Amino acid sequence: MQEQKIKPATLIIGIGNTGRNDDGLGWTFTEKIEEMQLPNITCEYRYQLQIEDAQLVSQYETVFFADASHQALPKGFEIKECSLVDHYYFTSHSQSPETILYLAKALYQKEPMAYTIAIAGQDWDFENKLSETAKENLDNVLKEFKNKYF
Amino acid sequence: MSRKITIDPITRVEGHGRVTIHLDDYGQVKDSFFHIVEFRGFERFIQGHPYWEAPVFVQRLCGICPVSHHLAAAKAIDQIVGIDPKDLSPTATKLRRLMHYGQVFQSHALHFFYLASPDLLFGFDAPVDKRNIVAVASEHRDLAIKGITMRRFGQEIIKAVAGKRIHGILTVPGGVHKTITAAERDYFLDGNNIESIDTMIEWTKEVINFMKGYHEKNRKQLDEFAFFPSGHLGMVNDLGELELYDGKLRAKDHEGNIILNDISTDVYQEYFAEAVANWSYMKFPYLKNIGREKGWNRVGPMARLNVCDRIPTTLAEKERQFYLDFSGNKIINSTMYYHWARLIEMLYCAEEMKLLLNDPDLLSGELVRQGKTRNKGIGIIEAPRGTLTHHYEVDDKGMITRCNLIVSTTHNNDAMNEAVKWVAQHVISRHGNITDGMLNQVEVAIRAYDPCLSCATQALGKMSLVAELYNHKGELIDARTKN
Repeated sequence: MQEQKIKPATLIIGIGNTGRNDDGLGWTFTEKIEEMQLPNITCEYRYQLQIEDAQLVSQYETVFFADASHQALPKGFEIKECSLVDHYYFTSHSQSPETILYLAKALYQKEPMAYTIAIAGQDWDFENKLSETAKENLDNVLKEFKNKYF
Repeated sequence: MSRKITIDPITRVEGHGRVTIHLDDYGQVKDSFFHIVEFRGFERFIQGHPYWEAPVFVQRLCGICPVSHHLAAAKAIDQIVGIDPKDLSPTATKLRRLMHYGQVFQSHALHFFYLASPDLLFGFDAPVDKRNIVAVASEHRDLAIKGITMRRFGQEIIKAVAGKRIHGILTVPGGVHKTITAAERDYFLDGNNIESIDTMIEWTKEVINFMKGYHEKNRKQLDEFAFFPSGHLGMVNDLGELELYDGKLRAKDHEGNIILNDISTDVYQEYFAEAVANWSYMKFPYLKNIGREKGWNRVGPMARLNVCDRIPTTLAEKERQFYLDFSGNKIINSTMYYHWARLIEMLYCAEEMKLLLNDPDLLSGELVRQGKTRNKGIGIIEAPRGTLTHHYEVDDKGMITRCNLIVSTTHNNDAMNEAVKWVAQHVISRHGNITDGMLNQVEVAIRAYDPCLSCATQALGKMSLVAELYNHKGELIDARTKN
């Protein structure tokens, strides 16, 4: 059996809203990973990141933030490393992954390896379904994610 | 030259709003407005849906206070299936109360630690890079950790009872659909996995002590900043005590005289009307017998402590008495006392949660009751931000034909406008240069009310808030946009 490349104690946070078409990409990606029942992986779902998520991410060695992207991406998705930044969004409703990582370091002295997974969507209406483009991008990102991290 | 100032968006509030301040030729404030320019929609969307969808549907009003909308709608829908609040089973009532106290606790924690604490820790006119939780985390780490942990405790209570922290479901028409298990209850009592309810009580006392110390050093500012007379509205139980889930409505004027005497929530329409303005989507509720101009009331923590005779839990009542001592034991009209009152309510909620968590009715008992169906239901609760009304009418097939929501923040609409006016007149008037610190004081005044602008207008899409400065010709000469 191939050795799992991903470190133990990994957290995947799906961000978005499945009721807004392709905004559900982050959640659907996370659900697909959860269905694989891999060891040492915890999956969480958020409409938006909030400040208390700093406490959550501080408990893991590796964290993936999966979200839909309004922007077209060369491969239909993008996985990249994410570093902490001390900026603050003006409301408590939502915070960026970078701010959450900053708070995890400032408050809990933890700095997990972190990545953002952006998956391009095109429909943002009020329906519980993904567009064909979004489905294709989802399949591709799942393949690369599994190849690269497992 | 006269000018107009715009602050947009108002920061560290829930939702988006805009402030405009109009100055005359001499730099004096001529007028000021707190605009909520979002679309109002849920009252209309819900028409044509079956009544049992309402408690789930209305949670989408807000990501911060879905529990409050869920419970207010549930109380209304109970009546449509023939169940008044007093007829609900003890188990259902206690589970709903537990969730409600968890909601108020976490919402107040969010506001105090994440939104308001930078104003108190760094000053009303602190530099912009200090005015956020990131700066609090860097310079007051222990306080920030406690804030996050306390907020999370309330969220965990909600999750245990309703299945999810946001948009979970507890209620069904006439009751609830589940109890909690002994293991779920012990999770909050034993302190093995998360900080216990006893720790929450101790930490809340510590934060109240911080607030007392702050008051001692800054009493003049707290007393005078955005002080203005108004009515105060809240719910009380049959003994006149603070009540958040089900009781009677009481209002007092700025001197403490009763102007609404413990009316049943069923008859709110006989006493309240709602006005509109052409510069805001948020309505302006007021007491009919006093009239539009003077009949508006502040709601929320400070108003609730003003109208009740006492708090039914020991520790919070002791803190209420200390807090009220500063008003000659009468009534408080100073905006900044909202923060202190909010902390006292957190203590009350923590004490109530402890009592409920030790009550065996939470673990078993009758879940649902049904009576003779009706065509109307009115649910009123005290949400974190104040008195929240959900009113539904249905046809004989159970489809909703009418919905009226009076959301807590709308009651504070006039008050927030008064607060903006106070800052404009006392801080901004006559100054040639309008500094960022001055404009932040406008936000400090609004923020004390913890407005939830998305709830108050049932908004669609993204929101934010702006401040604009106009001259006497109506020309925009300065604007601050924060998004």
